[in-house]
Amino acid sequence: MELEEMKGLWENMSDELDRQKLLTDKMVVEMTRQKYRDKLSQISLPETVGTVVCFAMAAYALFNFGKLDTWYLMLCGVISIVFCLVLPILSLQSIDRMKQIDLGKNSYREALIQYAKQKDRFVKVQKAGYYLGFVFALAVLPVAGKLMRGKDLLLDAKLWLWYIPFALAFHFLFSKWVWKHYSSIARGARTLLDDLKE
Amino acid sequence: MIREHEGVIYKVSRVYFDQEEDQKDLYQEIVYQLWRSYDSFDERSKWSTWMYRVALNTAISYLKRAKSKVNKVSSERLDNFKMEPFDPVMEERIEWLYKSIQTLSVIEKGIILLYLEGKPHEEIASITGFSTSNVGTRISRIKEKLKRQISK
Repeated sequence: MELEEMKGLWENMSDELDRQKLLTDKMVVEMTRQKYRDKLSQISLPETVGTVVCFAMAAYALFNFGKLDTWYLMLCGVISIVFCLVLPILSLQSIDRMKQIDLGKNSYREALIQYAKQKDRFVKVQKAGYYLGFVFALAVLPVAGKLMRGKDLLLDAKLWLWYIPFALAFHFLFSKWVWKHYSSIARGARTLLDDLKE
Repeated sequence: MIREHEGVIYKVSRVYFDQEEDQKDLYQEIVYQLWRSYDSFDERSKWSTWMYRVALNTAISYLKRAKSKVNKVSSERLDNFKMEPFDPVMEERIEWLYKSIQTLSVIEKGIILLYLEGKPHEEIASITGFSTSNVGTRISRIKEKLKRQISK
């Protein structure tokens, strides 16, 4: 089938569709109302919950910071707090930017460029978050031990003997998946951008 | 105005998704976004140009969500989404037509849809943001691509 033939078929179909009306005014109003409600109730729920948990942890560590009585515990405390505050904000910000494409004002090309760039940025934030997560996993354990049980876990050699190899193994296996997953997304975004430049 | 152009919304939904559930969701999303974005409509420009722009841009932003199945909403308000069937031969050809379009890239899908809608190159350029000559080049490329696909 040639493109001109396709066009003819498309015209026939369009004429037929114009005769058939699915929507009523009431349905349009109902659909927009329902969508509006759904949007309000589903604003990035998983990310929002994650952010609340992170902020609560940061607040807890901040209020009890005085209990961290050695320089290394303080350093672990600072790393944990910064991680809990900065990363969720970056993550929410990149998701929020994805939603901010002006559908009426941007052309299709502009919307695609913005979308691809934001996707690329989102992947970078997710990747950075994952790798920093490993540092966080190491830093948060002594802080939690000190604040919740009053113990300096950094002095517990036995614990670190199994915790570090376990964390490394987990990180290694998981990072393979993360790399593969996000690399294909980033590659897709870059191909799209290249295609748009032509 | 939305009701007047519902055929276009239906076609955009079918071009971007092959699953009926996704088509239904996108259809509702476009109706919602047209309603929501109406403030951005500049009376000096053509309503249909603005509408195609919103519909296509909504489809792009919806592609990711559909993939991740996030933010999905129930679609019970649109039970009778399917149009009345055409005659079997035409139905089959239309199905094939949509399938062929779905093999194209996201950029090509938008351009071919506007081309099939009978839009001149200048209007396609105004909706998509590509230059008129670039639209022409891309349409020729799509023609070749579809030809190759048919001969396979």
